[in-house]
Amino acid sequence: MNAEERAWEVVRRAYEERIATPRRTAPSNKLVVAGVAAAVLAGAVLSPPGRAVLGDLRESVGVEHAQPGLFSLPAPGRLLVASEAGAWVVADDGSRRRLGDWRDASWSPFGRFVVASSADELAAVEPTGKVRWSLARPQVRFPRWGGSRVDTRIAYLSGSRLHVVAGDGTGDVDQNGGPAAAQVAPAWRPGPRHVLAYVTTSGRVHVLHTDGGSLAWRSAPYPNPRALAWSSDGTRLALVTRDRVVLFAAGPRPVATRFVRGVLAAEFEPGGSRIALARARDVFLLDGSRVTRVFAGAGRFSGVAWSPDARWLLVPWRDADQWVFVRVGGAHRIRAVSNVARQFGAFPRVGAWCCGS
Amino acid sequence: MGERAWIRGAQRGSVEDLERLFREHWPRAHRAAFLVTGDAAAAEDIAQEAFLAAIRHLDRFDRRRPFGPWLHRIVVNRAIDWTRARRLRAEVELGDHVAGPPPPELDGSAFARIADLTPEHRAVVVLRYVLEYTPGEIASLLDLPRGTVNSRLRRGLDRLQEERA
Repeated sequence: MNAEERAWEVVRRAYEERIATPRRTAPSNKLVVAGVAAAVLAGAVLSPPGRAVLGDLRESVGVEHAQPGLFSLPAPGRLLVASEAGAWVVADDGSRRRLGDWRDASWSPFGRFVVASSADELAAVEPTGKVRWSLARPQVRFPRWGGSRVDTRIAYLSGSRLHVVAGDGTGDVDQNGGPAAAQVAPAWRPGPRHVLAYVTTSGRVHVLHTDGGSLAWRSAPYPNPRALAWSSDGTRLALVTRDRVVLFAAGPRPVATRFVRGVLAAEFEPGGSRIALARARDVFLLDGSRVTRVFAGAGRFSGVAWSPDARWLLVPWRDADQWVFVRVGGAHRIRAVSNVARQFGAFPRVGAWCCGS
Repeated sequence: MGERAWIRGAQRGSVEDLERLFREHWPRAHRAAFLVTGDAAAAEDIAQEAFLAAIRHLDRFDRRRPFGPWLHRIVVNRAIDWTRARRLRAEVELGDHVAGPPPPELDGSAFARIADLTPEHRAVVVLRYVLEYTPGEIASLLDLPRGTVNSRLRRGLDRLQEERA
């Protein structure tokens, strides 16, 4: 398909969306649909294999026989975490390096650098903690780094404004004065073209070509957005809201919607199509129409992260003060580490598990 | 049926009329964006975004006015902005941006010559000699004094002649 045909497809879809009359659905119908979908999900997660996996973990707070400290990670790679006590890089041999008083952090696309933020500062930091550059900006949140090995961009929110700055800290711009952003981390589509997805305060997903400042597409509004995630091949974008997971492909029309309440975090499998979804008390995998619960427990989970080899999931379990590593590639296994808060000054949020050592 | 009828049809919901309008104006809009930016991907994005802007404002568009100048104003201004932003964002440490190949329908030698001009000069040269606007129309499109347009044209042409010589 050449440039003209690609552009015509986008223009035609935008035009049809503009002239489409929103169809009203009676609230009772919506409830029925959501209820049926929830029942389907419940049926899937409580199937015999699901129960077998859960075992006696369901009502316990914490995994028994957990290691007292983080002696090693179960897969190659480095973890980036942040807590009230700062940001840390954890190597696969369990060694930890504190990067500084940063409250949020994420990896550059190939793990060479970290972009970190405090309340009023954005900085590019080496994994050793050395600050390469910094920008003073108000109310900085959700710094995210994308691009290729030779040309990168960092997106972040300053208050409700979406900003994009080059990887060397120059050219910081409010993204074309577009609509205000919801408090959801923007997400770069993997690849060199600097395509960014973010959610507006009205709940619309906007996908931008940030270099030209042009809008590739925008979705219908979805109330209560919580998270965005791209698949590693850039062909799927997942939007998580309070009551559903919406999957987009190349345009604003969803290719699938799963009604799942209470999802807090979502991450696509590296190199695959499965999505790990974390709720307060369980973690499950969404693979097309199949839902598999892989871990559950009492208390509260705070996120989920895939290992770079896609064989393990890290589930931070705040109430148990544990990190639980759940093997999802090959035989099901669980490893757990206790006393996490003591090791990081406070119980940390897991940023990402990246890129080999 | 002409452009006005296509705009009227598009305002009333006709995809066919919108497509006629798009097919009529895409090649020149895309070409102008490419000549100013020198980047195939950016040109595609910029021309596409100009059409999306046209759709957003379709209901308020005055059918008595020609569509082309309005579209080209968006295209060229965005292309200038993109080129300036790219210069600002050049990553000294990590290497420079690599432009994509020109669209096949463009004359490579003409592109090579015009690429050495500043984006501001490129824009007036493209508007004058590719899209064939008068200097007065260019001044209006770019919100520039007529004298500035003339001087940019003169300097742009001088540079092009130097490179041909």
